[in-house]
Amino acid sequence: MLGGMETVDLARLQFALTAGAHFLFVTLTLGLATLVAVVQTRATFSRNPVHLRMTRFWGQLYVINYAMGIVTGLVMEFQLGLSWSGLTEYAGDVFGASLAIETLVAFFLESTFLGLWIFGWDRLNRWAHLALIWVVTLTAYASAFWILVANGFLQNPVGFTESGGALHLADLGALVANPPARVAFWHVLGAALVTGGFFMAGVSAFHLRRRTPEQDLFRKSLRVGVGVALPALLFTAASGGMGFETMQLPKIAAWAGDADRLAEAQAQLAAVHGPGDHLPPVEVVRGAGLAMILLFVLMLAVAAASFLLMVIRPAVRGFRLWHWCLTLMIPVPFAAVLAGWIFREMGRQPWAVYGRLTTAEAMSPVTSGQMALSLTAFTGVFAVLIGVNYWLLARAARRGPEGAALGADRPADVPVPVPAF
Amino acid sequence: MELFILAFFTLGYLVLGGADIGVGMLLPYLGRSSEERREVIAAIAPFFLGNEVWLVAAAGVLAGLFPSAEGGLLAGNYAMIVALLVSWVARDMGLWLRGRLPGARWRLGCDAVTVAGSWGLALSWGVLLGHVLLGIEGPLGLLPALAVTALFGTHGLSFAALRLRGGLRRRAAVLSGGSGEVRTYALTASALVAVGLLAGLRLSPVPGTAAATLAPVVLALIPLLVGSQAWVWWTFRHRVTGPSYL
Repeated sequence: MLGGMETVDLARLQFALTAGAHFLFVTLTLGLATLVAVVQTRATFSRNPVHLRMTRFWGQLYVINYAMGIVTGLVMEFQLGLSWSGLTEYAGDVFGASLAIETLVAFFLESTFLGLWIFGWDRLNRWAHLALIWVVTLTAYASAFWILVANGFLQNPVGFTESGGALHLADLGALVANPPARVAFWHVLGAALVTGGFFMAGVSAFHLRRRTPEQDLFRKSLRVGVGVALPALLFTAASGGMGFETMQLPKIAAWAGDADRLAEAQAQLAAVHGPGDHLPPVEVVRGAGLAMILLFVLMLAVAAASFLLMVIRPAVRGFRLWHWCLTLMIPVPFAAVLAGWIFREMGRQPWAVYGRLTTAEAMSPVTSGQMALSLTAFTGVFAVLIGVNYWLLARAARRGPEGAALGADRPADVPVPVPAF
Repeated sequence: MELFILAFFTLGYLVLGGADIGVGMLLPYLGRSSEERREVIAAIAPFFLGNEVWLVAAAGVLAGLFPSAEGGLLAGNYAMIVALLVSWVARDMGLWLRGRLPGARWRLGCDAVTVAGSWGLALSWGVLLGHVLLGIEGPLGLLPALAVTALFGTHGLSFAALRLRGGLRRRAAVLSGGSGEVRTYALTASALVAVGLLAGLRLSPVPGTAAATLAPVVLALIPLLVGSQAWVWWTFRHRVTGPSYL
């Protein structure tokens, strides 16, 4: 299968599979963290046992999902230097800065405080414990922000000077204020809340349909999920619309399928970079963009109808067809998010740094044998882990709050803890 | 200043994350039954998330402050870095997934993955440090690699001795003899720091042009980062009294 591909294609496939897998998990992480923080805030103020069980149940699902986000994320971070040293040598002095800040103010703090949140469940003051989940949520946002600052630079390079065949950081503020970065951040944040909202609503609907215990908990959760999903969808669409104004000409032209503008973009780039194909794969870009928008329409229809239905008590209790529909909707935001990502990233091709460094030039000097080996290793490991983790996530979601180990009391057969002092 | 920042996070990882690697390697020795192993894992459970991010931070610092060295170091040691990453992922997943299903075979399988991943991590670090430090490749490179692996294992034991109780603690203290648990830990930690420092001196990467802007930002962040970790250390300063969430 890999034999006919160039090394750069293998490297792209490897990065795309890692980034795509990472994106699948972190989108839910970002959305669910917010929802868990909201639920825990209610629980902390109300001390209502239902709210406390809600926090543990959704928190457990959040933690299962988070672990996969970490392992894919760290592989992705190392892959930049591993497979794309041409990029880090050419532009690392600019966009490396945002990666460094991301690892410190986001990844580092997020993991540290999440560990404290998980393992310190009954050891910490409940207000401190609540503050932790909010810090975890905010650092997750910060992570998305700084990663999109790096990505925004690749889409639309700003804030640099060029000398000695490499780019140098000239203006960190310009990098941060780069419109394709800022708009994409709001768009991704909205999409994450949509994903989290549909996930919460869909899992709750499953339990309401099955008439499992804890009906009250899942009625409340369904309302939180739907109540977040609809406004988040509108917000995501609005920021996505703004995103079209920040796009490169070839991407816009490919999206519109406009032959004249495609020719114009090709001519512009050829004038600077000489002859060659400077355009992205038009059909892929168009197809992905279209898929994203069609899925948005589907989600909007379901979310709007659900928003009305959720105020009708008998419907929340017993409208099984609607429950089915909400559960079946769980994968849809994930598909939309992946389509949007393919649209954005394929639309940038053949450039790694738009208009400056091609993807082929961004490659590390590694052999195709090395690349095939690492691709096989990462793909094999991630395929197994994604399968196992989604199965465990579904299992934990199906089992309901009774099965949540997070924050649970210690099992009875274990000796009672003795303080060390 | 840039080198100090890189050294700070790398050495921090070797000392803190190194203990998790060592405990993972010696899990079959420290815990003979599934329940014992769960208690041994509880020794590192609250820390391993916060410990492994020291390496993530080191990689971020490398990307931001030393972008030209980053490519050479990572792409130049391609197979070793891939082995390190796969082992890291396996170790983490073994720990995370262990408690997700009740079956004894599942837990045994997860423990096996944790142990294999920890050995893989230690050996990849050993080969990598041996390569960077002594420039040895091929079969001979295995000698320094095994020495570094043994060091990780010893460091794990000394950390476990500080965290566990009773019979588990006695097992972990097998190498420290009468010299005291804290002193043993200080010794293994210093040895790891020395290896890391020597490798760093051999490497001596040249900072990039973003360093003038970025380095002061990172320096200002360090107290916040250390403070957040100190909260974790303080919260879990007592010996393990039973199984944890994992």
